[in-house]
Formats: sequence, C-alpha cells, structure tokens
Amino acid sequence: MNFANNSGLLAALLLFASTAILAQNTPPAIGAATAAESSMAALIESGSRDTFRALDADVQTLKKEVLDLNRDLFLLEEELLFPANSQVAFFVSMDVGEYFKLDSVSLTIDGKEVANYLYTDREVDALLRGGVHRVHMANLKTGEHELIAVFTGQGPHARDYRRGATVKIDKGIGAKYLELEINDRVSKQQPEFEIREWE
Amino acid sequence: MPNARPMFAMFGIGCALLSMSAPPHAAAGERPTVVKDALYGEVLFYFYQEDFFPAIVRLLAARSQSKLDHHRDESELLLGGMYLSYGQHREAAAIFERLLADNVQPEIRDRTWFFLARIWKQRGYLRQSAGALDRIEGELPENLRREALMLRAQLLIDSGDYDAAIDLLDNWKGKTEWASYAKFNLGVALVRSGRVDAAARMLGELGGMKPFNDELASLRDKANVALGYAYLQNGRPVPAKRTLQRVRLEGPFSNKALLGVGWADAETGAFDRALVPWMELRRRDLLDSAVQESMLAIPYALASLDSISQAADHYLHAIEAFHEESGRLDRTIDHIASGSFFNEIIADDPLDSTGWYWRMDRLPDGPQSRYLLHLLSTHAFQEGLKNLRDLHYSHRNLENWQRRVDVFHSMLETRIEAFEHRLPRVQNALRRADLDGMVDRKLEFDAVLNDIERSRDWLALATAAELGTWGEITSLESTPALAADIPEAADIRAKVALLKGVLQWQLEKEFKERAWRIRRELRRTGEALVEMQRARRKIDESMRRQPVEFAELSQRVAAVLPRIEAMQSRLEDQMAMQRSYLRSIAIDELDAQKERLAAYTVQARFALAAIYDIAATVGEAGP
Repeated sequence: MNFANNSGLLAALLLFASTAILAQNTPPAIGAATAAESSMAALIESGSRDTFRALDADVQTLKKEVLDLNRDLFLLEEELLFPANSQVAFFVSMDVGEYFKLDSVSLTIDGKEVANYLYTDREVDALLRGGVHRVHMANLKTGEHELIAVFTGQGPHARDYRRGATVKIDKGIGAKYLELEINDRVSKQQPEFEIREWE
Repeated sequence: MPNARPMFAMFGIGCALLSMSAPPHAAAGERPTVVKDALYGEVLFYFYQEDFFPAIVRLLAARSQSKLDHHRDESELLLGGMYLSYGQHREAAAIFERLLADNVQPEIRDRTWFFLARIWKQRGYLRQSAGALDRIEGELPENLRREALMLRAQLLIDSGDYDAAIDLLDNWKGKTEWASYAKFNLGVALVRSGRVDAAARMLGELGGMKPFNDELASLRDKANVALGYAYLQNGRPVPAKRTLQRVRLEGPFSNKALLGVGWADAETGAFDRALVPWMELRRRDLLDSAVQESMLAIPYALASLDSISQAADHYLHAIEAFHEESGRLDRTIDHIASGSFFNEIIADDPLDSTGWYWRMDRLPDGPQSRYLLHLLSTHAFQEGLKNLRDLHYSHRNLENWQRRVDVFHSMLETRIEAFEHRLPRVQNALRRADLDGMVDRKLEFDAVLNDIERSRDWLALATAAELGTWGEITSLESTPALAADIPEAADIRAKVALLKGVLQWQLEKEFKERAWRIRRELRRTGEALVEMQRARRKIDESMRRQPVEFAELSQRVAAVLPRIEAMQSRLEDQMAMQRSYLRSIAIDELDAQKERLAAYTVQARFALAAIYDIAATVGEAGP
C-alpha cells in the first residue's frame, strides 16, 4: 500500500532524526539511519515532483503525438493496401456463445483460402463481451464473389465442431463490410453462423 | 493494497463509461455491448483485451473517417477512459470535463472523477487531484468512498494541512483495510503536529490489531515502529520498548524495531540488555540502515559498560565494514551513472502493455538492485519508470512503422505501375465501346418503334419465323398457277388466304403486347446506357483523378518518414531526459546512503580516537 510507504512511517521517522542520547561516549542519533532514509524519500517525493511534472507534461504531449501519428499511418496504410473502391473487410462477432467456443475461423474467397485465424482465450472473451474482430481485409473486383467461412471450435457437450457458411458477395463500387456472426440458436441448442453485410 | 485492485477498477471505469448509454441490462454487465458500427466493435475488441494503444489508434482513425456515427458519445467517453488507462490523464480530463457534465449517469461521473483524482495524486498533480475529488457530487460505492476519503486525507497531509487531515480522519468509522491505513496516516499526521498522545491512541490501536492478511500484519509492524520511535522521541522508553516488541522478528520492520528496543533499554541505562537486540542486528544485512546504526550502537553500549577494548574492536570492525559498503555503493553509482541500468530494466520487460496499470515490482538481478529496492516504493520513481517505459514502447512502435514505410513506397509504385499498364487498354476499350453511337442507335430504335406503333404496323413486330411464313404466304399468293380458274386453284387460294388471315390475326392480336415488350427492352437499354454513361463519367473522372490521388499519396508517404524520424528523435531526447531524471533520483538515494556511511565512519573514528585517548591517559596515569 503506497500511502503508508510514501509518507507514513518514513515521514514519522523523520521527526526523530535530531534526537541523541547523551552518555559518556558519543552515541549515534536514535533512528538516524531510518530518518535519513525517510528524508531521502521525502525529498524524492517532494523535491523531484516539479521536475517530474515538467517531464510528465512533455511525455504526455509526446505520447499524444505518437498516437496521432499512428492514426495517420494506420489510415495511410489502409488506403494504400485497400483502396476504398475495392476494399472488403470481414469481421467476426459473437452473440452469447453458450453453444460454441470458438477456436479458429478460415475464409475462402472464390476458391482461394485467404485467412486462417486462431483465437486466444482473451480474444474470445473480448468477442463475447461485444468486441468485433477484423479477421481479414481484401481487394475484390466489382461483381459477384463467393465467400466460404469455416468456424472450428467446441460445440455443445464440448464436442469438436466445424461448420461452414457460404455467401455470394455482390461487390459494387465502394468499401464493403461483412459480418460473420456466431449466434446461439436456443431452440435447437446449437450454434448458428450467419454472414451478412454490415449496414 | 493489492496492485490488482486499481487495475481492475480502472478497467472497470472504462467499461462503466462504455455501458453508460447502453440499455440497463448492458450497463449491469449481463449482456455484451450492442455494436452498430463495425469499427467501434473493433475498438472494443482491443479495449476488452486491455490493449489500449491499438484500441485508441483505431478509435482515432475511425473517428477521423466519421465511421462511429452510431456511437458518437459512447466512443468519446470510451476514448477518455482509455486515455486514462494509457496514462494520458490530461487528454482524459479534457474529454471528461467536456462530456461528463450532463449526459452521464451521476454515479459513473463520480467514479470517473475519483479515478482521475487517483491518477493525478499518483503523478503528483495534487491541486488537480483535489479538484477532481471536489467534483464528486454523490455517494461513491463503499470501497471507492473509503479510498476517496483516504485520498483526500493524504492530499491534506501532503499539503501540510494536518489539522484538516486530523478532522477528516478522526471521524473515521470504517473497519476495513482502508480504515487501518486511515488510522495509520492519522497517527502520522498527529505525530507531525506534535500531538503524540493522540497519535499513540491511533497507532496503538492499530499496533494491537489482529491482522487477517500479510499486508495488514506489515501495517501493524509499521504502526508499532512509528509509535515506538515517537515514544523514544518523547523520552518514554518503557512504552517505546513495549510497543516495539510487538513487531514481528522476521519482517521488513524487524531491524528497525530491534534497533529501537535497544535504544529504549539504553535510555534506561540497561546497556547490557540493549546489546541483545543490537548483537542480533549485527548478523543481518549491512545494507539496512538499522544494521549500520547498530554497528555504532554496540561499541557505544560496550564503552558505556566500560568494555573499552571490545568497544574499540567493534568500532574498528564498523569502520572496515562501512568502508567496504561504501566501495560497493561507489561501484553501483558508477554503473547507474553509465546509463545502462535503466536500459536493462526496460530490456527485461516484455513491453506487452503500457500506461498507468504497469508497475515495476522487482528490479533486474544485479548488485545495484539491492540498494534501490527502497526506491521502488516511491511514486516519483515508479511514475518515472512508467514514462520511460511508455516512451520506449512508442519508440519501438515507430521503429516498426519505419520498416513498413519502405513497403508503402513499393505498394504505391506497384499501384501506379498497374494503373499505367491498364490505362491504355481501358482507353482503347472505351474508344471501341462507342457509347455515343449506342445512344444514337437506341434513339433510332425509339423512332422506329414510334412509327410502327403510330402506323400500327403489326408485321414490323413479327418474329423472323413469322416473317418467313408471311413471305412464303405472300409469294404463294402471287404464284401464277394459283390464279387459274380451276376448282383446285380456288381451293388452295382459300387455304392460303386462311393461313394469311390467321397469321395476320395473330400478329395484330399480339401487336400491343409485342410493342410493349420491345418498348420495355428499349427502356431497359436506355437505363443501361445511362448507367454506362454514368460509369463512363466515373471512369473518366477516375482516370483524371487517379494521377492526382497518386501524387497526394506519394506526398503523404514521402512526408511520413521525416515525421517518424523527427518523432523518434524527440522520443530519444525525452528518454534521455527521463533516464537522467531517474538516474538522479537513484544516485541521490545512493549518495545519501554513502553520506550516512561516511558520517558513521567519522563518528566511529572519533569514538575510537576518544577510546585511544582514554587508554593513553589511563596508561600515563598508571604505575
């Protein structure tokens, strides 16, 4: 607990620094050692506070600028790699997930496997809480394309589960977002996999 | 308190802010967030994994593209929460001040101010911390309310307003761990204001408690040490000894307690008893200041007991030990001054997270680490390390981008090449397509159809087969043989007339429908032609714009590398300043230890000289 550390005992001991017990020989001051430690701590906490704050203000500014630069780089990379006219993004989402524990998703577009993503427990948890994972980005020509998504994991009763979903994508001009959603179908106590365009 | 608590609590505020505009069941954490914008969901994907840096970057990117329209306020508050988690308290505060005013549930608003107050306190922004606490209007949840009270008391103590701290803490009724810390801090505040008896009440109560975990046991020891020394300071060795004896023999405070017990005995003149704890201390690690002090206290006691020779031996031993320790300190100072020490600290860390949560719990193995353990408990050092670590993370992040920017150039060149390669083919194809000719032809068709309809030229809409049949019939009609005035010819003429009549009847009957179908096809053709014209304009526009866009992208790609390099250079300067700051704290700490040893050494030498003087005087006075 830091409250005590930073100003509790050490500050209290600082009070005793000047006390000495007089005897026939010269004694060291009672608690001089601990007092010295405490005075040092106090100096660190107070004396360096102004220096720290000045540095901290600069660090904050710099970190913010690094974040902004990252934003610009992120957007530039996306524009270069996936121009808006041909861009298609594939997102994986989960709703409930009681009947299915996701292990991996693989995507095949027009007969060619383009992505195979293995999920960590942390990522699955993030999906269950409402996070959406961009599993793949592609450039597709305008026209019709076939997408096959294969979901593997554990289904009801912890059995290995592998299920595919197919959809025809009609790619027009402009970016397209597709959602690969894993649902629970309560009536059948089975997972359900849907692919749809993100409106 | 456990380190995990602030971490989860901070994450919790992010979640709370996140769910504030969600339906009630979502706010209660029972259902996942309903995501309407894909990119907002992506931000959440990283946020829920506590990867704040990529989450913030994605949120900023999506916001700049106006792709968070369904979650505008939510995403802004989430950004504030994530800034707070990433240690960007100024950015966070700016957002909260703008957004928390009226569109957030009061309890979430209060909680947010509380967390902001805590991070500000930790970073030494005391005025801002107090200001944030002042903005809490309602009742916080019990655990946070206790901590908020503690925080306020601590701010008062830090600002030297002990009486206000005493007023605040004296009314403390809690029975929790926070209450124990509050009592301890109140005790300290009371000692500082010279009210030792009142302090004794608080610290004594704490020193006599039955702790239910290691942390409280440690706090109890601290309280007993603080109170014991307060009594000693006050000239009350008997209660001092009683208090100090309550400290556990094995624990971080046992050395100080043993030293104090010895002083309590010494003060009552019981030097022989004082020697017992001090001799025990002598066997312990010389790094501890209490052990160092005991090395002077022992010969002092021995001299007081007239064991002059033994005292001299102990002083000599102490001088030697202090000298060796001082040498080790010098080597450590040199190592830290060389600058590599903090790089080792950062290098040891996996850099998998950044920001406010992070805390260095152990220093890398090495002779210097043992001297700096004490520093780890100070906010100044910890926050300085956090900043250094975040700067290092940023630098590594930009190194990574720097490598990718080379690929940016290639990507752009490839796209330009592909465009230039395709352009002539596209232009050729467009020229061949003769869109205007198609439009003219369509208009001609329209005119023809209009004429047909106007003249009700049903034959014009006959199919090729029908037209063939019609031709055969009309050619039969004009066959000279059929003109013969014989019954057979008349019979065939009648049949031909019938066939012709049937075909005409059918063509006339279907004329309207056929005309409608053709009109429909023409309309569709017209629409397709309009679409084609539109597409053509787009293609023309695209062909015209593309080189401009490429030029813009080229400029952006070209500008990005100098930006990265300039930022890296600033980060390096800032890291150097941060290291220098940490180095100065560390070296100041070590210098203080050295000065203490030097003072002890001088004291030991004087004492030894005094003993030699006494011995010489006795020798001269002898027979």
